Amino acid sequence: MFDLIEPIVFAILAVGIVGAAAAVVLIDRITSAALLMAFTFLCVAGMFLLLGAEAVALFQVLIYVGAITVLILYGVMFTPQRHRAYALFFQKQTPLAGVVVALIALPVLVFSFSFKDAPDLQPRGGDLIPLATSLFGDYAFPFEVASVLLLAAMVGAIVLVRRDEDEELP
Amino acid sequence: MHVPLGAYLVISSALFFIGVAGVLTRRNAVVILMCVELMLNAANLALVAFSRRFGAIDQRGSVFVVFVFVIAAAEVAVGLAIVLSAYRNRPTVDVDEVRALKG
Repeated sequence: MFDLIEPIVFAILAVGIVGAAAAVVLIDRITSAALLMAFTFLCVAGMFLLLGAEAVALFQVLIYVGAITVLILYGVMFTPQRHRAYALFFQKQTPLAGVVVALIALPVLVFSFSFKDAPDLQPRGGDLIPLATSLFGDYAFPFEVASVLLLAAMVGAIVLVRRDEDEELP
Repeated sequence: MHVPLGAYLVISSALFFIGVAGVLTRRNAVVILMCVELMLNAANLALVAFSRRFGAIDQRGSVFVVFVFVIAAAEVAVGLAIVLSAYRNRPTVDVDEVRALKG
């Protein structure tokens, strides 16, 4: 009976991910799209938990479900949204996009299903200790570079959005 | 029963291609940013699945997920700043109508 718990939870999360992501693409109301995107991220965090990566799942909830969703909602709030329900799928790019995506997606789906688990896989503990030892050991320099990148992105975003003082003058 | 590695990768690639379809068909700049985030998250799922289940590799694949988080946060912040400043110059967020990025 307990053997079935993992496939059932996996199936629920998979339906949540694919359904909510498809709804993000298909739905016309942009606020609903943003909240469905947050739901997709939450389901992906559940998949991380199912894989035994608790620390990554925690970061996912903090950064994606928290910070990035709020940023996207700010973007929705500050920009006007026109309803273009009919313009959504009847554009000149749409048939080409469908053909290209289908042509690439089908072989990739078949190929990715062919991966097998390692045969001698032992049950592993959480991922916090290997994550921390490699992040502050082998990958300490890229970690510092990433913090510089975040600082540069923050300064760049402020400079881009800032209003010039003399812009308001006639 | 054990969910195989291939099932996680199928979900990951399905999420990635849904994001690709969204980027290619939607014209609203904010929705395009959302779909890019979905694609980055699909890559994260594949990285974590390989690092937890693909035996020969050790568990350090999750490190790259942290870097993807950092890049995604920087990308969405700068991307929204560009969208907002483009909107200030011309009041539209439709990428078909924004032809000039030069302020």
